[in-house]
Amino acid sequence: MSLEEKVLEIMRETFGVKDVTTEASQKNCEQWDSLRHLALASELEEAFDLELEPEEIAEMTDFSRVVAMLKSKI
Amino acid sequence: MTFVFRNQTVEPFLGYDGVTYSGYDDISVVPEDVDRYIWFYQVPVNADSVQLAQEIDSYCDKLDIVLAAANKHKPFIIFSLVNLFPLRLSGDETALDEAIGAFNRHAQQLSRQHTQVKWVDFSEFTLRYDADALINWKYYLMSQTLLNPKLVHKFQEWWQRIERELSLNRKKCLVLDLDNTLWGGVLGEDGIDGIQLGGEYPGRAFSYWQRSLLELSRNGLILAICSKNNEADVLEAWEKNPAMVLKREHFSAIRINWRDKATNMRELADELNIGLDSMVFVDDSPSERELVKQLLPEVEVPDFPLKPYELMPFFKSLVEKYFRIYTITNEDRSKAEQYRANAQRNAEQARFVDLESYLYSLDIQLDIKPADEHNLPRIAQMTQKTNQFNLTTRRYAEADVQQRLDAGWRIYCVSASDRFGDNGITGTIFLEPLDDTTVNIDTLLLSCRILGKGIEEAFVKTVFNLLRLDGYRKITADYIPTAKNGQTADFYDRMGMTSVGTGDDGTRHYEMALNDVFEIKNYYNIRVL
Repeated sequence: MSLEEKVLEIMRETFGVKDVTTEASQKNCEQWDSLRHLALASELEEAFDLELEPEEIAEMTDFSRVVAMLKSKI
Repeated sequence: MTFVFRNQTVEPFLGYDGVTYSGYDDISVVPEDVDRYIWFYQVPVNADSVQLAQEIDSYCDKLDIVLAAANKHKPFIIFSLVNLFPLRLSGDETALDEAIGAFNRHAQQLSRQHTQVKWVDFSEFTLRYDADALINWKYYLMSQTLLNPKLVHKFQEWWQRIERELSLNRKKCLVLDLDNTLWGGVLGEDGIDGIQLGGEYPGRAFSYWQRSLLELSRNGLILAICSKNNEADVLEAWEKNPAMVLKREHFSAIRINWRDKATNMRELADELNIGLDSMVFVDDSPSERELVKQLLPEVEVPDFPLKPYELMPFFKSLVEKYFRIYTITNEDRSKAEQYRANAQRNAEQARFVDLESYLYSLDIQLDIKPADEHNLPRIAQMTQKTNQFNLTTRRYAEADVQQRLDAGWRIYCVSASDRFGDNGITGTIFLEPLDDTTVNIDTLLLSCRILGKGIEEAFVKTVFNLLRLDGYRKITADYIPTAKNGQTADFYDRMGMTSVGTGDDGTRHYEMALNDVFEIKNYYNIRVL
């Protein structure tokens, strides 16, 4: 599974919605609220075995930024 | 919808679907239109322990205020308080511990006083983890989520189990092996005084284990024995070994012989009148466990510890997995005694030539009562646990029963006693009025420990007579077949009802006109209260 696919799967799981796409962002996805944003960060840390700083978590406002952040840390 | 009172962020743990959260430590809104309430407060982080203790003290009052305003007919679940970040600045700061203890005692007290209130020991979850693992300061400071979000999945696993337990999914009977299970060593080889029980380790471990099991039986669990041994040797050991805590009288039924254990388990289930799916089988021998697992998949078969010193944690896991309930009713407490009295009754039965004169001799007293706040927990519990004599097998929580009462249903329960003992509340009937003269039997069940005495018939006929007096002229009813309730398949036929068709799922529909008074055998003393 590619990193992108894995991220999508974690997002679907965390937000509890099926149709999360690569276009998803905090603006267009209702379930992606601030609390679930942190839940997402926590799940990503576990899945990719890395630590995200609060400032980095704050920057991950849409799918592509999430992916870019992860790639920069791996 | 679940409504959660909280003082920290707990959404990641209790979820979003169908859950609404109060503001942080906000008790100003107590909605009535909910399915249940959860009180999940955590000890806040504050280095000033005296101030913190005062804050905790205020939670007791807040809880009282919320409980008074909450809908009394809906479950109210209270999580115990756990100090996730114990700071000890001076070493003698007891005020905070006292305040936390006082809150937890208060919550437990409430759960005893109000049937809808259940107390959940949150420390059971937190004690599994090191202090460092419980809090993730990054997430706490970003979102006020004190409990580490990394524990979400473990928490949900635990919480699902607690929810299952809250819905009364309890096993009724623990079946135990003897050699190397209740004591160390083999009785047939080591002799009565050679087995390991009492004294130094490992005997001491088996003593603790037996004492714990005894306590469980005092709380209503049925104990039984299934062992390959010479029965006479075991009876002698029970009598003569002074270290023996559990003796013959603590076991409601025993099978001590050399036959296969699956057959013995089936016989025990029959004798105790319980389903195999209510039984837990504990045996040190992996091959015996495998046999029971293979042949009787309904029976729960936990692994047995390899070392005697692991018996206490094993006991704890048994309690947590199978035997704990959150409302212990008086019925539960005396149930083990009742099962023993029934065994005596069966012996009595053999001496009478015909059943009628036996029943006459029993002096059976039946009390029929409408549902009220005292018997409602027991009524709900019976709908959850009764499988065999249960015509429709509909499971109801306490709140469901209350809701039906509120909707105008008539719900009666029956208590049965005879000269051997009081069986307590052992049956119930739910009647849903369809119109002014027609009533439908939604639920009819009796605990199997009182069957065989015609009580079901006397109960139902008495209720029918009551309905007739109240102007009802027609009764409808269904029999819904399950794997367990075959013995009730023709019950309504026997009651003189007319079968009016069978559904695709095998449900049989019945109806009957209520014209004449039903005659009830005179060997029952029946009181309608």
